[in-house]
Amino acid sequence: MTREDKKLHDVQSGMEGPRDAGGHPTKDERVVGPILPGAGEVAARPARTLWGDAFTRLRKNKLAIIGLVWVTIVIALALSADLWVPRFFAEPTFTGFGSLEAPSAQHPFGTDRIGRDVFSRVVYGSRPSLSVGVLAVSISLALGLILGALSGYYGGVLDAFIMRTADVFFAFPYMLFTIALLAVLGPGLQNVFIAIGILGWPSIARVFRSSILSVKENEYVDAARAMGASDLRIMFRHIMPNAIAPIIVYGTMSIGGAIITEAALSYLGMGVQAPTPSWGSMLSEAKALMIPAPWLTIWPGFAILTTVLAFVLMGDGMRDALDVKMKD
Amino acid sequence: MALLEVSDLKTQFTTRDGVVRAVDGVSFALEEGHTLAIVGESGSGKSVTALSIMRLIPDPPGKIAAGKVVLRGESVLDMSDADVRAMRGDRIAMIFQDPMTSLNPVFRVGFQIGEALRIHKGMSRKEADARAVEMLDLVGIPNAPHRAKDYPHQFSGGMRQRAMIAMALACDPDILIADEPTTALDVTIQAQILELMIELQQRKGTAIIMITHDLGVVADMADDVMVMYAGKQVEYGSADAVFYSPQHPYTWGLLDSLPRHDIDEKGTLLPIEGQPPSLIDVPPGCAFHPRCPYAQAVCRETCPELREIEPGHMAACHFAGTDSLVRGRVATAEGEVR
Repeated sequence: MTREDKKLHDVQSGMEGPRDAGGHPTKDERVVGPILPGAGEVAARPARTLWGDAFTRLRKNKLAIIGLVWVTIVIALALSADLWVPRFFAEPTFTGFGSLEAPSAQHPFGTDRIGRDVFSRVVYGSRPSLSVGVLAVSISLALGLILGALSGYYGGVLDAFIMRTADVFFAFPYMLFTIALLAVLGPGLQNVFIAIGILGWPSIARVFRSSILSVKENEYVDAARAMGASDLRIMFRHIMPNAIAPIIVYGTMSIGGAIITEAALSYLGMGVQAPTPSWGSMLSEAKALMIPAPWLTIWPGFAILTTVLAFVLMGDGMRDALDVKMKD
Repeated sequence: MALLEVSDLKTQFTTRDGVVRAVDGVSFALEEGHTLAIVGESGSGKSVTALSIMRLIPDPPGKIAAGKVVLRGESVLDMSDADVRAMRGDRIAMIFQDPMTSLNPVFRVGFQIGEALRIHKGMSRKEADARAVEMLDLVGIPNAPHRAKDYPHQFSGGMRQRAMIAMALACDPDILIADEPTTALDVTIQAQILELMIELQQRKGTAIIMITHDLGVVADMADDVMVMYAGKQVEYGSADAVFYSPQHPYTWGLLDSLPRHDIDEKGTLLPIEGQPPSLIDVPPGCAFHPRCPYAQAVCRETCPELREIEPGHMAACHFAGTDSLVRGRVATAEGEVR
């Protein structure tokens, strides 16, 4: 085909642009003009990342921020308890006060049946709750992410095997299964982590698997494979970061769920053992005194309610923030 | 010896309804620095041919059933998985149709361009980043050092395709496979991307396999053209030969269905009637015969072999090169004009 023909073709397709003597497009044409509308403005705009965008959106969600602030406060109180509680209040296990005192300046939340300061017990009680929330969910995440990733990425027999196992876990009533597991492992905080953690993986695995299934169809995964990337690299570099958003949301909400489960188990006497305080066991001890000493139930109950609510609000806010389709 | 030789390549997919012969006996050779265009309708096996060369056919359900792919004397189909990975991106690179989805949204553009360099050349993060900036500059992205730090969603479609080209060429591959690289772009941007590819090919001597259904693209770029229909090659030869003396009625159909200001002032486009056949149930004889206006009894019974019509120009039609077909075509064309 001759040069003239090419020119002719260019004219037909509306491709004619400024050209130098050799028929090549001039440098100017490539750099300015309609190719890059507003290239200058782009340079001036601050660099925004996916996560940066998400945080900007999260900040606009008041409920999520309230949740975040409350979670931060609870974590700060739990971590710093040793520094200030014993100086102003009694140790949570100190029994020297008069029994069943109503809230007062000295004991803001009152005292319990054997004279322990309820405020200091509520503060210390946050420790098992938060640690169960975080550790049990970490165990679920570790198991669920690995199994969900294998399931979604490789598919086939492995997928079927993992997902049917998950179905078996789902087939048992959750609370009953937890209690049965604790009956085998024995009560105690450490075993509560393990039990809740082990029982939590199937839902995480399912969520992650479906997320991977959709991400893996993207062309950039094909592009990575065509670039010579190994399976591991494709999995961890290209698929995981794009599939992780629903897990962050689900994980955050699961922390709330794990706190409730811990409280329920402690209430039933399978969790934290006396005299260590936990919100669930405090409720359990208070159940006979609900009418004469309502402060014994109100404060630990309030702590559970607000903390779980805060985690759920945070998770909800993250779901909205990480949803790219909701881009403003 | 040619850079890449493909002979009698057959790729099949096993589906519930039967075996799909997506590529059925394709042979071609690609010389150093040349451009081969693979042309055909959707589903004619163009992309599967390219993916087979890269050994990117998902198995199962796909399988390369027969044939040879020889890259510089080395058989690609016999390579170990590790060798294939070492080849992909380094010796043969690929760019995809939709630049909007072929960049990973969570990584900076520069990082992604550098990834192949880190994989194949063992470069450090810093070296790869520096090279990525050079590549972005090479493909005409202004302010490259700054833009390399941007995320894909901050790039326009044309810029993303430029970035994809930069990514593919980062390791200086012998062959660049471009699977409809301009289909998803605006017409003005299409022209720029093609010019860019031509320019880079001249500078770097990369051989290109261009998969397209846009004959305008073929006219701009290709040295050789292979026309595919229903998984088979129907015509193969130099671009000049295929454009100026097309031998297969399907190629005529493709050319006639293009708007051509220079020839047909009446502005009538002649579409090819009918639909491409299902690859599970390919018609007996010549796969094109149900749509071919010149089909004879023989076309319904025997599948025409690909044969040389003139030196270097092959066609798979019983009547290619014979007078009867040409006379038939002229008569039809006159009929249409009248």
